[in-house]
Amino acid sequence: MKSRLSILFAFLCAGQILAADFASDFSAANELYAKGDFAGAAAGYEKILHSGMVSPALLFNYGNAEYKSGNLGKAIAAFRQAELLAPRDSEIRANLGFVRNQVQAPPVQESRWRDALGQLTLNEWTCLAAMALWLTFLSLAARQFRPALAPKLRSATVFLGVLTVFFGAATGVQAVGHFSQRSAVVISDNATARSGPFDDAQNAFTVHDGAELPVLDHYGAWVQVADGPGRIGWLSVKQVKLLPGA
Amino acid sequence: MKDYRFSIVSAVFLCLAMMVSVARAASFTASLDRDSISLGETATLSLSFEGAQPKNVPTPDVPGLEFVNSGTSQNVSFINGAMSSTVTVSYSVTPERTGRFVIPAMTADVNGQRISSQPIELTVLQANAPPAAAVNSGSEVAFMKLILPRRKVYSGETLVAELQIFLRDDVQNFGNFQMNSTIADGFVIGKSAEGTRFRTQVGSRAYTVIPLSLALTVTRAGDLSLGPFSASMVVVLPSQNQGGDPFFSQFFNQGEQKQLTVATEQVSAESLPLPDRNVPANFNGAIGDYTMTVTAGPTDVTVGDPVTVQVQIAGRGSLDSIKLPAQTGWNDFKIISPTSKTDFSDALGLEGTKTFDEIVMPESANIHALPAFSFSFFNPDDGQYHILTHPSEQLIVRAGGATPMPTMIAAARNSGPENPTPQDILPIKEKLGTLAQVPAPWVASPAFIAVQTVPVLAFLGALAWRKRTDRLANNPRLRRQRAVAHLIEIGIGDLRSYAAENNSELFFTTLFRLLQEQLGERLDCPASSITEAATDDLAACGAPESLLNDLRELFQQCNQARYAPVRDPGELNSAAAKFEKLIAQLQALKI
Repeated sequence: MKSRLSILFAFLCAGQILAADFASDFSAANELYAKGDFAGAAAGYEKILHSGMVSPALLFNYGNAEYKSGNLGKAIAAFRQAELLAPRDSEIRANLGFVRNQVQAPPVQESRWRDALGQLTLNEWTCLAAMALWLTFLSLAARQFRPALAPKLRSATVFLGVLTVFFGAATGVQAVGHFSQRSAVVISDNATARSGPFDDAQNAFTVHDGAELPVLDHYGAWVQVADGPGRIGWLSVKQVKLLPGA
Repeated sequence: MKDYRFSIVSAVFLCLAMMVSVARAASFTASLDRDSISLGETATLSLSFEGAQPKNVPTPDVPGLEFVNSGTSQNVSFINGAMSSTVTVSYSVTPERTGRFVIPAMTADVNGQRISSQPIELTVLQANAPPAAAVNSGSEVAFMKLILPRRKVYSGETLVAELQIFLRDDVQNFGNFQMNSTIADGFVIGKSAEGTRFRTQVGSRAYTVIPLSLALTVTRAGDLSLGPFSASMVVVLPSQNQGGDPFFSQFFNQGEQKQLTVATEQVSAESLPLPDRNVPANFNGAIGDYTMTVTAGPTDVTVGDPVTVQVQIAGRGSLDSIKLPAQTGWNDFKIISPTSKTDFSDALGLEGTKTFDEIVMPESANIHALPAFSFSFFNPDDGQYHILTHPSEQLIVRAGGATPMPTMIAAARNSGPENPTPQDILPIKEKLGTLAQVPAPWVASPAFIAVQTVPVLAFLGALAWRKRTDRLANNPRLRRQRAVAHLIEIGIGDLRSYAAENNSELFFTTLFRLLQEQLGERLDCPASSITEAATDDLAACGAPESLLNDLRELFQQCNQARYAPVRDPGELNSAAAKFEKLIAQLQALKI
């Protein structure tokens, strides 16, 4: 028992030390940003990101640094990842919208209901759906244990059932978007989409840094993207940053 | 032996022939599949090396032409015993402009020799619109039309042209649409938006029309021209070479791809300068058709306090270029340069609302009104200038210190959704926040899904419990059966303890009572009415004789014990065991 507590204590200490390291790296990158060394700041934020740890603030600052370094695509990708973690952060939305306006590409237009669904993360929708499900079935179970409560609980049960269906549908839509509707953000200056997934394939069209394109397919190190009606081409994965759909 | 000699001679001859053929002089030729192409089309340049493998294959470099290596092939053939080998390196040649291009002689190292090709010419022509006769005959697979809404326009005006792409009804699919040239003399081409497709009859054929709206801004007065626009696309047409049954081919015809270059005709227009007469005094170049809304607040302020004047110009035109005109009558106000934002309501960026937020500060307590605000524009539709005026509004200005500080509307709005157009991104965050791994979606976690079955199982358990409870409530006999079973279970324990204590009296009293309870439940009669005679009723119910005999024996033992208590614990234990066996048989008895 003592040895287990020791291991747990050691883990906690290591976590604290690691968090302190990241915080100092983050502050150092912030200082570089303040001095105008945006590339240095971006590298500093990227170093933390390479550890696999993220936070909305880290991705937000990284997006800012990439934008200031002239990398619109990397900035958009970072802001979108930050938005996935904190969808109601108005600063992230503002900067994402601002950088999107700088991109030479058709504006990204999301339907209102998609926008509304995006106000919560997939896990938040999942949590709401699970809570509604639990309450619905617990209410149904309570009606079995106490039949006298059934008339009082009827409207509440129906309401909870409707909520369960609604939250479940929202979770389903978000999950489908997350798992099957990936998008690619172009991170190179002028990326040439080709008609096939080969270096020698004919040029199909050119897309600019920061363009956000839906991914239709992938083949090896290539992704098939659509750019407007009737324009389909293959981009190397080195030219894009792939993001989940929701 | 003769055959053997013949074989050797043949082999030697063949080897010599091959050596001779290989030793033939190598050659290098460059050729194009076409001498002339339209801008937007692609030609193929083939560099053929005959007789040997080339080294250092040159890549052509001609300004205005883009060369992309499209592969290498090798062809070996025997003709009349002579072997020839040809290596062909192919390039896709895409012109960037029209004109005559010369692909110069290229030199390659072939079989140790430096060999040069001949220079070749490629003529790139501007794609032209097909003649009307060809269009009407239905022979054109695809063509384009460019339509201007008016031929007389005004300098500075914005208008919408329409580019219509016609695809013949046998086109199964199309893609890789790319505009090659968009010549516009006197126009600036803005955003574009695809409209709703429709079908139309042109001559003898039906065509699908894809309309593409283009926002244009006239940049100067005089004669203007638009086009020709040219574009390339790949269309899929029914294959002509699949043969077979025409009935089946209509279902299984995969079609063949064809690259097309299409072009529009040139459209000319006359651009007029804005009229010199009746120009409003504060006209500052706004062209279009607009409405204006002005709001101001707060209207009860102290000298020097800010009042936000919000001016919304809504309508159709070049909203981006609209500026607030200088206003007369605002001399008693300190004016801070307005901020603006534009919200477009159409995809072309020609309709919407431009909102100006101007902060003005009254500099004197003698001001009693916000002056009138006017905005003028030229409407190209009616060719006239228009003036929009918002009347003056009452404003209460108090001397300094007379009233508490009013609410800063402009500051309050900075936190709302109607922010003015930002000039830069928002600054970085100072705090790192909680670092964590990117959270995996719970919805894909089997453990999470398993946990969600708990409330369902709880409900199913409750439902089962409710059914069981209801069944018991509605079935008194079943209820009694269960109660007796419970009683017997406890009673057997008591019997064992009485046997161990050698308490004959309590043992047989309990035994008799348990027998009464069990038989009463079985025969569905009160337990108190059960005597040894109940065995007859049991016999009538089909109980086996052995069971009845055992029962009678136990009853008799109970009766005897009242008068002559048993003192031997072994006998009591034996009676208890017999009772247990008997009870099991009674409970299993189907009555």
